Amino acid sequence: MTELLFPTTVEEAVALLAAHEDARPIAGGATLVAMRNAGLVESTHLVSLDRIAGLAGIVRLEDGRIRIGAMTKHAETASCEMLSGSLEVLRKAAGMIANRVVRNMGTMGGSVANADPAADYLPALACCDAVLTIAGPGGTREVSILDYVEDWYETALGEGEIITAFTLPAPYAAASSYRKIARVSGDFATASCAMALEADGQGVRVAIGACGPGPIRDPEAEAALCGHLGDPEAVATFAKALADQADPVDDVRGSAEYRLQLIPRLISGVLNDISKETV
Amino acid sequence: MAKKMLHSLTLNGEEVEVASAPEATLLETLREDLRVLSSKRGCNQGVCGACTVIIDGKPVRSCLTLTARCEGHDVRTVEGLSDDRILNALQKHMVEAGGVQCGFCTGGMLMSARNLLAEVPRPSRDAVKSALSGNICRCTGYRTIVDAVCGAAEELAQ
Amino acid sequence: MKIAGEFEIDAPRAEVWEKVRDPQVMVQCIPGCEGIEQIDATTYRSQVSVKVGPIKATFNLKVEVVSEEAPHTVLSRTSGEEGTRASVVSSENVLRLAETPEGGTLVSYEADVSMTGRLGKFGLGIFRKKADQLAGVFVENFRAKLGVSA
Repeated sequence: MTELLFPTTVEEAVALLAAHEDARPIAGGATLVAMRNAGLVESTHLVSLDRIAGLAGIVRLEDGRIRIGAMTKHAETASCEMLSGSLEVLRKAAGMIANRVVRNMGTMGGSVANADPAADYLPALACCDAVLTIAGPGGTREVSILDYVEDWYETALGEGEIITAFTLPAPYAAASSYRKIARVSGDFATASCAMALEADGQGVRVAIGACGPGPIRDPEAEAALCGHLGDPEAVATFAKALADQADPVDDVRGSAEYRLQLIPRLISGVLNDISKETV
Repeated sequence: MAKKMLHSLTLNGEEVEVASAPEATLLETLREDLRVLSSKRGCNQGVCGACTVIIDGKPVRSCLTLTARCEGHDVRTVEGLSDDRILNALQKHMVEAGGVQCGFCTGGMLMSARNLLAEVPRPSRDAVKSALSGNICRCTGYRTIVDAVCGAAEELAQ
Repeated sequence: MKIAGEFEIDAPRAEVWEKVRDPQVMVQCIPGCEGIEQIDATTYRSQVSVKVGPIKATFNLKVEVVSEEAPHTVLSRTSGEEGTRASVVSSENVLRLAETPEGGTLVSYEADVSMTGRLGKFGLGIFRKKADQLAGVFVENFRAKLGVSA
C-alpha cells in the first residue's frame, strides 16, 4: 500500500523523501501512475509535488533568461510565447508530446526526471543548453543538461533529490526546430532531432534524441559545420559524427539499424525547416 | 483488502466524500466507489482515452490521476454535463452521424471534443482529428466521429 | 532476445574453467546475485536482482547444466520467476572457453532469453543494453577474482 504525502515547500518535500527509504516523488503522474498501474513500480510513500507553491510556471528573469518551473505542464510550455526564436524548439517539442489530454497532465520536471531516452524534452533542452536546478538533502545545485543523463534511465539526480526548475539562455531572433519520427502522432520518438541556429546565423546546435541513453550533442562537430550549413557534404559529415556516437536499442519502435539511418534524414529535415524560416 | 481513506472532492458540482484506497486513481474511485460509469477503463495506461474526464476545465486521464490529488479541484464527467450546450450538440450529432457503435470510447471522445469546441468554436477537420488523437475507437474508423464533431461545431456556430 | 559477447582473461584455461564451475566464485562475480545453492549434481538455485531506472526486480532462478565438456563448453538452461509477480524469464545458454595463442583464455557466451509478464511489457530493447552493461561488470569482477588485469 502506498501513502501519499503533500508537502507545501521544496524543503519539506526533500525532508520527506529523506525520511522514508522507499519514497518517490510524483509530479504530474502521467508516467508514474501508468507504471504503477502496470505493476512496474511500487513504493511505500509518494511525495506529491503539486501543492508546492512556485514550482509551476514560466518566467523571464531580469537578465532575459527564461525559467521554467519543474511542475509546468506540457500544455503550458507548448503555448508559451516567451519560447520563441532560438527557444522555439522547446515549445515545438512540448507540443508533440503524446496528445492534448496528456499534455494537461505531464510536467517537464517529471519527464526529465524519468529520463526516458525516447521522450521529447531531453534533446530539445540539450539543444538549448538548459541548466537544471536540483534540490536535495545537501541543498540546491545546478547541473547542465549535457551532464545530466549518465546511463540508460540513470541521471545526475541523487537519492532524495528533485528537479525544481530549468533555466534557458535568453532567446534571440534565430530559427530553431524539432522533428521526430514516430509510429503514430503522439508516440514516443523512434528518433528525434532538435536544432537551433546560432545568433550569427553561421552555426547550429543540434541534439539527437532516442538513439542512446541521453541526447547526443557534439560541440566539436558543430564547430566544424559552422559556416557550411548549405554544403551537403559538410552536413553529411556532421550527421555521420553524431550517428557514430549513437547507441540505439532494438525495440518495437524500430531496429537500432533503422534508427541510425534516421539520424541523417532528421538532420537534413530540421536544417530545411530552419533555412526556410531564415530566408 | 487495502485500508480505505476518506477523500473529498467536487464531482459534477457537488461536494462528495468517498472512501477509496490512499493511492486509488480517480478512475477507480469513480467506477468502483461512486458508481459513476461514463469513464471507462480501457488500457489503464493513459493511451486509449476512454477514461477522460474534465478537471478544472481541462480534459485529463482519470486512470493517471490520483484521487487524493483531486481535493479542492472541480471534476466533471459526462454525467455532470447533461445540460451543457456543447455536449448536447455533440451527443445529438454522434447519434446522427453513426459515431457510436459499441460506445466504449464515446464518453472519452465527448470529453475531448467538448474541450476542443469550448476553446475553438470552428475547428478545421484536421484540428478535430488532432484533438481526438488521444482517443482510440476500435469500431467506427473515426470518420463518423469527426463528422459528428464538425457537425456539432457548425450547429453551435449558427 | 539474443545476448552474446566475449572477453579475454589473462589466465590459463584450466584455471578459468575451475572458477567458472565454482558457484562460490560465481556468486561474487554476477552483479546483483544474492546467492547460489547447489541442489544436485547439475542443478543450482539462485536469486538475482536487477534495476533498470525506476524498476527493480528480483528473480528466483533455477539453472540446469544440460551438458558440459571440460574444460571448454557448458550448455545450460535458466528458468525462473519474479517472486509472486507475473514475470517469467527463461534462457538457453552456451559458454565456451578457448585457449589464446598468448596462453590466456577467450570466454564467449550466448544466451537466448525470453521474458513475459510485467517486465516483458517494459521492452526487451532496454534489457539488452542492461545485459551488456552487467556483462561488463561481471568481467571486471571475474578478472579481479583471478587476480589478473584487463
